[in-house]
Amino acid sequence: MRRVAVIGVGVTKFGKHDRTSSELFAEAAADALADAGLPASAVQALYYGNVVGGETEHQLHTGPQAASILGIPGIPTTRFETACASSHAAFRHAVMEIAAGVSDVVLAGGAERVLNVPTAESTEYFAYASDAVWEQTLGLTFPGVFALIARAHMDKYGTTEEQMAAVAVKNHKHGTKNPKAQFQKEITVEQVLKSAYVADPLKLYDCCPFTDGGAAVVLASEEVARKHRKPVWVLASAAASDWMLMGDKRDLSRVPATERAAAAAYRQAGLSPQDVDVVELHDCFTIAEIIATEGLGLFEPGAGGLAAAKGWTSLGGKIPVNPSGGLKAKGHPIGATGAAQVAEIVTQLRGEAGPRQVEGARTGLAHTLGGNTATVLVSLFGRG
Amino acid sequence: MVTLRHFFARAREGQLTGVRCEKCGELAIPPKALCPACGERAWQPVPLAGEGTIASFTVIRVAPRAWAAEAPYAVAVVKLKEGVSLLGRVVDIPLEKLAIGLPVRFRPLIRDEQTSVGFGPA
Ligand SMILES: [Zn+2]
Repeated sequence: MRRVAVIGVGVTKFGKHDRTSSELFAEAAADALADAGLPASAVQALYYGNVVGGETEHQLHTGPQAASILGIPGIPTTRFETACASSHAAFRHAVMEIAAGVSDVVLAGGAERVLNVPTAESTEYFAYASDAVWEQTLGLTFPGVFALIARAHMDKYGTTEEQMAAVAVKNHKHGTKNPKAQFQKEITVEQVLKSAYVADPLKLYDCCPFTDGGAAVVLASEEVARKHRKPVWVLASAAASDWMLMGDKRDLSRVPATERAAAAAYRQAGLSPQDVDVVELHDCFTIAEIIATEGLGLFEPGAGGLAAAKGWTSLGGKIPVNPSGGLKAKGHPIGATGAAQVAEIVTQLRGEAGPRQVEGARTGLAHTLGGNTATVLVSLFGRG
Repeated sequence: MVTLRHFFARAREGQLTGVRCEKCGELAIPPKALCPACGERAWQPVPLAGEGTIASFTVIRVAPRAWAAEAPYAVAVVKLKEGVSLLGRVVDIPLEKLAIGLPVRFRPLIRDEQTSVGFGPA
């Protein structure tokens, strides 16, 4: 297999936009191509993530639509849908296409637009990522899924609502250092604890927001990447899944797909969790960050809440997690999130993250989870 | 073979149905095409008692459009006494009485043509 590098990244401002998802992707993609120093005509394939375009924009067939708006019709293009992990799945397939020698330059990314519909409507669309027959009929929501997981983690390990709040406070603090973040204001533990319950024990400030945005990355073979000023190498890209139904998940306090994808990624890269300097992980809810830090092997099972409360995952801590502000503060345009996480890790490993730079970061990890924890992708990156 | 239609027809009458693998004895609910333990497709339907305990629960206060009028409402993962688990809506138990380990009993939730899984007091 050939080595693969990321040579260009682009991310729109996250928040509310009066533009379609394909327009948002086009902005990110044009920025990523400029960053790579390549014309659009150099792109040999486009892998694209978009989740609820059919519902919020009445738009399917978004792969060729995205290629068209970039002026590069004719290339192979496919839309990926693995719920919130869609553009990370797109990224992994771009990695494999280059590693296999099929293409030398591939564009991967995604976009989402949801703030053009009311919250009750987007809540319904996001719930489509759970089972239509067995779960949606019960009124299960996306926060509801993680509330069930949070309660199990609290029961098994004694994790507290204060520890979960610490994750939100930390990611909001990081978000103030990211000009593209949806929220750029600090919050306190007290504010989190006093916010209204959405799905007990999760409160409003435990939840990431609804977000519009786009993200794109340019991947290249070693031969192409060697000409770039600062290629960041893809050391591993792994995916795993788990049972779809909440009732089939054997231990609700864990996310087995994270553990499986992480094990595969560390094995591919020949690395261990101790080798990782900076992490962007899927904090769709505060409890999701706690369990992800455990599943990725950064902390022992049950220690993730304590780690957040002690500041071990803050910028300047033992292992900085979500320096971008994470989904919680940066925002979560579901089709774009995976690519945006990859873009942040690439920016960190180039040493170009400004006030949120993790000093001396050489190895980074991106973790993206889909919907009800049934999809997880983990990729590892290294510089020079 | 137990199709979803069969499962919900029986559930509507109050009978929860699982499937047991004739090759290896694995029990599953809802029905699956292939046995996750041995890979065979030798399922036989088996009636389940419908008795279990709450493994985890939440009270949903921000609901999807279709359920907004019913919020707040509780959903729980219930571990059935046969060892398999199932998600259901919890009804007729005050929200403040919900707890992990609380015994509950299956009951069908019927709304027009639709049947879904509910659990009420044991
Ligand atoms: Zn079997």
